[in-house]
Amino acid sequence: MGRLLEIEDLRVTLFTRRGDLKAINGLSLGVDRGETLGLVGESGCGKSMTSLAIMGLLPTPPAKIVGGSIKLEGRDLTKLSERKMQAVRGREVGIIFQDPMSSLNPVYTVGFQLAEVIRKHFRVSKAEARKRALSLLERVHIPDAERRLDSFPHELSGGMNQRVVIAMAIACEPKLLIADEPTTALDVTIQAQIVELLKEIQSESGMGMIFITHDLGVIAGVADRVTVMYAGKKVEEAGIDALFSDARHPYTRGLIGATPKPDDERRHRLVEIPGVVPSLADLPEGCAFANRCPLVFDRCKTEYPPLETFENGRKAACFLAEEMEESYVAPVRA
Amino acid sequence: MARSASSQSLDHLYRFARNKGAVLGLIIIVIVFAAAIAAPWLIDRDPLRIVYRPEIWPFTNPKYPLGTDSLGRDILALILFGARTTLMISFAAAFTATILGVIIGAFAAWFGGWLDEVLTRLTELFQTIPNILMIMTVVAVLGQTIGNITFAIGITMWPPIARLTRAEYLALRDREFVLACRSMGMGNIRIMVTEILPNAIPPVIVLGSVIIGSSILFESSISFLGLGDPNVASWGALIGDGRTLIRRSWYICAIPGLAIMFTVLAMNLIGDGLNDALNPRLRDR
Repeated sequence: MGRLLEIEDLRVTLFTRRGDLKAINGLSLGVDRGETLGLVGESGCGKSMTSLAIMGLLPTPPAKIVGGSIKLEGRDLTKLSERKMQAVRGREVGIIFQDPMSSLNPVYTVGFQLAEVIRKHFRVSKAEARKRALSLLERVHIPDAERRLDSFPHELSGGMNQRVVIAMAIACEPKLLIADEPTTALDVTIQAQIVELLKEIQSESGMGMIFITHDLGVIAGVADRVTVMYAGKKVEEAGIDALFSDARHPYTRGLIGATPKPDDERRHRLVEIPGVVPSLADLPEGCAFANRCPLVFDRCKTEYPPLETFENGRKAACFLAEEMEESYVAPVRA
Repeated sequence: MARSASSQSLDHLYRFARNKGAVLGLIIIVIVFAAAIAAPWLIDRDPLRIVYRPEIWPFTNPKYPLGTDSLGRDILALILFGARTTLMISFAAAFTATILGVIIGAFAAWFGGWLDEVLTRLTELFQTIPNILMIMTVVAVLGQTIGNITFAIGITMWPPIARLTRAEYLALRDREFVLACRSMGMGNIRIMVTEILPNAIPPVIVLGSVIIGSSILFESSISFLGLGDPNVASWGALIGDGRTLIRRSWYICAIPGLAIMFTVLAMNLIGDGLNDALNPRLRDR
């Protein structure tokens, strides 16, 4: 049995009036059963496009998969008909979106919405669906679940709603769960609870999970492996510990430098990455990070560094990856 | 505190009841409905039958409290049975228009592209045709029956409903819960009908109630012009028949005129009340 999810050389292009934008440009990644892959990057780097591509929910037009494959247990999702894809969505792959308040239909009770998903994929009676909905609410630790079944989304807090959204996503016990910035819209205190809940559910069910975030602090607590994306490409992939102790790509090091560390005694300044992500409309010929990289040299501007594999299966797309010192810290710009 | 579904509809009821005009409108409509339903028990004969001398003034003969018209027909009977015709045609026509408009508007917004282009142009085309001309033409071509009049008004009145529905669907289409529904494996029609429609329908219901009012006016106009169903009593037809006697026996026109006026006014008041009840954000203007 191969990997649970295997994305190979995925290419998604946005066909717009301003030209063809390569939103995802040759992305490959894999997720095993029971594993959590962190997907990290700044806004606009293609994280959410990747999750929508897996779900077959890319906004078409303008977005279109122009190459590559997305294989779930060996079956290429990009080649499935819309009808077959509907049976995959929710049943085999579940997704949690960023804003729980707008992810639920305001006119229905949460119990109704949960039962709806269950009845969409399983042939069960209304009473049985309600029973399952109740146990799902208990599983995501919603207090007083019996009464909450009949609550409307606007009567619950953001954290509660996100628990409901998680319950809906796992209602049909999917093999893969995509969490697309599930904590971004929540209070910091709630964030930790939601992350704990996701970890707990995953270890119980053994499903694979893709955890998308721009917050490295969050990823440290959940992911087994991390893929760092930049401008539609994977720039680094490593186990969670290796990534934090010994990042091989200057962009990753920049991200780590820009993340606050509460347990750090020295109160040093956070280091920002200067500049902005280049527009997809005019990506440079060479490395997309070249214009912001503190270690840039001539070759970076004409040639894209290939993604090379190093020890322990870690990968990085930088000419300097091999020689980068462990002690290297992103320099502070004056 | 969590509120249940029933307390939410109680909320709507409360907001509706706070609008005094709306309650008055509702009372008038209930009376008209009661008259329409009770007509066959109150008057045990064909309302179009000539019963007495023509032009008896109201309140002069206790047997015919509202008098008789130019032909000697009982005006009270005509008003009561006319209420049946008017309510039947206007509600059925508004219902037809709403169904048509919602389907056209929803498909245009949801699928977009060339379908939206075609449906929007079709809507605009219909809006350029004067309503009364369109209704007259359809009735003249199909024949003067209640069913045809209803159909004619229905296919004339849908464009505003379609435009409103399209706007609502466009706004709701890009909401995250719709994406979430798709990610659960729901199909287009399922999402359009069970997920978006309940969110889009409140303003459509409000507009629908106003369209019932306009349908009453159109039905009366058609009957006034002699294009109504000749086999049923109608307020508009009564005005049309009495129009030549307006100097001598003006009550023949005035009584059905008042009936039309109060019913349309009541429908509009109810529309206001529904707006308060269903669109609370607009309430405190």
